[in-house]
Amino acid sequence: MNERLGNRLKDRRTELDLTQGQLAELCLVSRKTINTVENGIFVPSTLLALKLAAALGVTVEWLFWIED
Amino acid sequence: MNYRPRPNFDRPDAETVQRTRRMLGWLLPLLLLQQSTIIFGRDSGLFDHVLGIAAWGAVTLSLLWWLLGLPFRWLSKRDQAILNDERSRFVSGDASRWGIVTLALVGFGMLIAQFWVRLDVGLTIYALVNSSLIVTFARLSWLNRAEPDEDE
Repeated sequence: MNERLGNRLKDRRTELDLTQGQLAELCLVSRKTINTVENGIFVPSTLLALKLAAALGVTVEWLFWIED
Repeated sequence: MNYRPRPNFDRPDAETVQRTRRMLGWLLPLLLLQQSTIIFGRDSGLFDHVLGIAAWGAVTLSLLWWLLGLPFRWLSKRDQAILNDERSRFVSGDASRWGIVTLALVGFGMLIAQFWVRLDVGLTIYALVNSSLIVTFARLSWLNRAEPDEDE
């Protein structure tokens, strides 16, 4: 099984003209966390995924999906 | 511009603590080397031994403090949340796993080695604990390596 979590974090963030640092402030995490989630290195918990979706004004399902 | 309240203006914030954590990891081998010269110095007296053990204890406790990410009570809720965010906890957990594996492997290696070599108790404990700490902090430093650029 080689599943990976795809995301539209960067697309949506740049669309809203937010930096990683600003998004990190909104979700109360470090900028590195945002960076690693964006790059698919770190898989966020449900809690963080919900926070990110809320901060970016989209649904979790739109923001994240499972890639094969 | 964002000013910090006066009582906290000279205390480290989350970013400073993160930066220090990244830098401290690479100092570890140097600290251990320095400790060993005091603890295992051939002609060192009782005072040097006590000093060495106190230094070892202080360094070990400080490292565990960094590793476990205990709350820095003077920091704001925001800074505490950033320092102990879920990625930071994941990184500590991963590094700790490496440390435990090292402890098991080095311990097992010593168990085998004692059939051929007479092992000194103090040296064995020192090697066992510090090999585990070195691996843990090398892993921690690697996972916490330099902050990537904004869109890197």
